[in-house]
Amino acid sequence: MNIRDVIQTINQMQADGVIERYAVGGAVGATFYLEPVATLDVDIFVSFKPEAGSVIVSPQRIYDYLTARGGTVQGEYIVISGWPVQFLPPASPLGEEALAQAVEKEVAGTSVRVFTAEHLAAIALQTGRAKDKARLLQFIEAGVLDPARFQAVLARHGLTAAWRRFEQQFLHDQP
Amino acid sequence: MTFDPAKILESKRALRRDLAARPIAEKLALLDVLRARELAIRSVGQSAVAESTGILHEVPAPYHPGGKQTL
Repeated sequence: MNIRDVIQTINQMQADGVIERYAVGGAVGATFYLEPVATLDVDIFVSFKPEAGSVIVSPQRIYDYLTARGGTVQGEYIVISGWPVQFLPPASPLGEEALAQAVEKEVAGTSVRVFTAEHLAAIALQTGRAKDKARLLQFIEAGVLDPARFQAVLARHGLTAAWRRFEQQFLHDQP
Repeated sequence: MTFDPAKILESKRALRRDLAARPIAEKLALLDVLRARELAIRSVGQSAVAESTGILHEVPAPYHPGGKQTL
């Protein structure tokens, strides 16, 4: 089980032209900015393009490529190097922007594209589950967000009111 | 060692800062370890439920999400 192997496999898949642009999101993406938190899977965001002659967007090319290299399909996941990996299309304009503006990081000589901290935090606010709110608090406590950039992302995607509610609930009621 | 809540909280924050500041390769390796541990804990919990009789347990959500909502 080695998450770095997952990154190398995805980079190779990109080099082989199966995907164009990708970025790591979710808990693994957050680990690039925060302390590591246990997670069971890897979320890879990719822009899917319809195959020639089809209007249906499908991850089939990715599955075919990876299963030919030892990956196994489990439900909506494909297991690479022991890690269940899910390939996700951006589900909102915020996700599309996060993918477009993802930054390149390096892991021991291997490059990897990751969502920015501001986009990960904004996505956590937008998604809004308990664990997403906890992650957003982690980002704030860690001081890794650029305030101006974060506020700009929130404003562009209509999240300012949600942010005010979050602030009121979690940041202004401190004892 | 102290029982002063303020010092305890600060030490927890310091530990988290230290973890966050580690090289990314080290943090990703920690994810590997954390995931293996999480799966081991889940498998023990599930077998304990299977062995019990007449006791009500809360069963953890199965790991095979069909329709995961992420972003």
